[in-house]
Amino acid sequence: MSFGIMFAILGGVLAAAGGGAGSAIGVGRVGRAAAGVVTEDPSKFGKVLILQILPGTQGLYGFLIAFLLLTQIGVMGGSPIQLTAAQGLMYFAACLPMAICGFVSALHQANAAVSGVSIVAKRPEESGKAIIFAAMVETYAVLALLISILAMFNITANINA
Amino acid sequence: MAKVDMQYIEVVAPIDSAKDLFDFLQVRSVMEIKKLDETDGLDYFETGPVVTSIEKYLDTASTALEIADRYAPEKSSLLSALKGIPVLSESEYIKKSDEADEILGVCLKICAAEKNITENKALISRARAAMDGVEPWLSLDVPMQFKGTESSKAVIGTLPDEYTADSLRIALAQFLEGEERYECEVVSKSAGRSCIFVLVHNEAYENVLSALRRLDFAFPSDPTKHPPKVRYERMKAKIEAAKEEIGNDTALIKELAAERDNIKFACDWFTIKRDRYKALQNTSAGDTVVAFGGYLPAEKTEALKEELYEKFSAALEAADPPDEDVPVLLRNKPFAAAVEPITEMYALPDRTDLDPNPVMSIFYYVFFGLMLSDAGYGLLMAIGCGIAKFKYKVTGKLKKTVDMYFWCGLSTVFWGALFGSFFGDIIPRVSEQFFGKVLTVPWAKEPGSIALWFEPVKDPMKLLCYSFLFGIIHLFFGLGCAFVKMWKQGNKTGAVFDCVPVFLLILGIVPIGAGILNVTVPPVLVTAGKYLAIAGAVSVVLTAGRDSKNIVGKLGLGLYGLYNTASGWLSDILSYSRLLALGLCTGVIATVVNTLGCIPSNKAVKAVMLIAVFIFGHVVNMAINLIGTYVHTNRLQYVEFFSKFYEGGGRSFTPLKTNTKYYQVKED
Repeated sequence: MSFGIMFAILGGVLAAAGGGAGSAIGVGRVGRAAAGVVTEDPSKFGKVLILQILPGTQGLYGFLIAFLLLTQIGVMGGSPIQLTAAQGLMYFAACLPMAICGFVSALHQANAAVSGVSIVAKRPEESGKAIIFAAMVETYAVLALLISILAMFNITANINA
Repeated sequence: MAKVDMQYIEVVAPIDSAKDLFDFLQVRSVMEIKKLDETDGLDYFETGPVVTSIEKYLDTASTALEIADRYAPEKSSLLSALKGIPVLSESEYIKKSDEADEILGVCLKICAAEKNITENKALISRARAAMDGVEPWLSLDVPMQFKGTESSKAVIGTLPDEYTADSLRIALAQFLEGEERYECEVVSKSAGRSCIFVLVHNEAYENVLSALRRLDFAFPSDPTKHPPKVRYERMKAKIEAAKEEIGNDTALIKELAAERDNIKFACDWFTIKRDRYKALQNTSAGDTVVAFGGYLPAEKTEALKEELYEKFSAALEAADPPDEDVPVLLRNKPFAAAVEPITEMYALPDRTDLDPNPVMSIFYYVFFGLMLSDAGYGLLMAIGCGIAKFKYKVTGKLKKTVDMYFWCGLSTVFWGALFGSFFGDIIPRVSEQFFGKVLTVPWAKEPGSIALWFEPVKDPMKLLCYSFLFGIIHLFFGLGCAFVKMWKQGNKTGAVFDCVPVFLLILGIVPIGAGILNVTVPPVLVTAGKYLAIAGAVSVVLTAGRDSKNIVGKLGLGLYGLYNTASGWLSDILSYSRLLALGLCTGVIATVVNTLGCIPSNKAVKAVMLIAVFIFGHVVNMAINLIGTYVHTNRLQYVEFFSKFYEGGGRSFTPLKTNTKYYQVKED
């Protein structure tokens, strides 16, 4: 095993851990607010549940990056490719957008969703708008995901060329 | 034009037919009643007290229904919710409404029985408390209020601490200095408390009582008139009686709950009646006529006019609306109507807006399919919604939502087939893992692909370019809507100057941008694009500042307009990259699920494992991605598309109608 592969795996692990940790905190935070609303009115469960799931996607994106990376460098198939330290660091860098932005955006999306929960509590008919406010934050997680994927694929293409 | 033309009308009718007229209008549900502006010499109907009393009846009926549901719950399932509510014809409805008073009687009985039950429950707990109070005294043979005989006095009460007759005597002796003229008896003792009976000679009474007081003696708070046993038995009987009454009342409620359907009807009926009387408040009345205004869809005016004249000798005529607050009613073909709830969630179109639904619907379905992009998931959605749509024939708003997911499902199947994703890669994987055969379509670049077009994971850049392309088309439609809207409003210069330069600019930049993304573009197009972009940019600079008076302001605003257009459109177009990102997300996770299922090498174990992981994994993946896809499709419409032309803020058309919960009233 080389340093290259180590850097690459480190990047993937960070992406999964960053996104996952952010989502765990975020989903938990919204869940607490949602539980409060359901205590008062159990019929709002469906509406607040959607809000609770929203900050959960970052964890999924992080997992996705980690999985793609493990496949790209062959760890998943059991035969890791040879990477120089520089190449490994490239993979590491490719994972960073998802690791950092996934963590931060999940927390902030959770904040928006918590406020959205109070919209649902007071004016359930406006719950669609509450979802949109929270979803605005997700845009940046999606962009980070995209850059991580594109960077990773292009790095692989360059190494293979 | 999918916004229905609204007309303001005024109606004058003989006062005798006013009630029937409103009945008729309510069942027809075509007209929103409004107050007349000028009502010289006419009064408004004062129906407030009637409305209040009807609301009381409604409250009784709905409480009765709630009680009936609590004591005799109705069996219901998810499927029964899909079946929708039963339909009553107009004549059935009128016949049934005559029984409403009888049903109200039933409702009152139910409410009274439930009140009785509550009272009896309270009585039981009071009686239990009383029984607990006399329990320690049960072995006392005299009443607790017993005062004594001619020569003696009785002292009955409690002492803290547990005593026997002897230990009590010893305790008292220390305060009594040889006084012996009393008899002690401990009736009961428990938990640090003794109930005692002391018989004292009249002359020793004061001394003994003060001695007892020093031991913290207390008289009972509620002494019995008869021996305690009598009260105990009486309370026991009371509880038995109350229990029996509760049983009877419960049985009564359960029996009356059989009238549930009628009670439901009563709820609806009182709601209808309340709404009608509320509408009557907007009516002006003289000695012989009533008059009111209102909005209705223009195409219904003629038919309504004739019908009102024939049935009620009422006159109807079109008039100028009193204000600009014209309500909005949307009418679209089912394909476009399905996305109306999405638009409504944002805001209804106002007077000047175009109805965005027809244009939006096609993009909504395409983008939804592109982001979910798995033929298996799409198929499940389409089948589920198809069953709800064709077998259960859902109606109303639910029908629109079901329709929307039906079309989204079909679109997902389409994109899933193009990208070769059916529950991820389950088809080629099973064929390879279990049958050793690598499935490949003839046009695929590498083995193992069954995509009709290409696999996004293998070539994400290609799909990214297409995402931007779809985005630009979507945005251009938005810009086109802005053009049409301004043109229709008579702002023709605005339409030309605000929209055409942007078209030119973006069209010109596309070939250049495509070059940056490594797409081969014919050099002719790049050159043409360059000139188009320059022409567009120059015309934006020249036109964006046209409202300013002086030349410096014009130039400044023009440059600012160019900056705004360029940065705004860049971020809008980039936003469509989510089409790729979410599509990849679904596909890759679906593939991961299948990979996990195929880890064991033994084929039998592998099959079992795969089935379990397949069901669980794909259910979770589908649920999470459905929510994500729904949210991001909405966002693309709200933020990118609507911002180009849509203002919103319209008020929805709310005709006087039979706003029922349990039954639907249809015209005969």
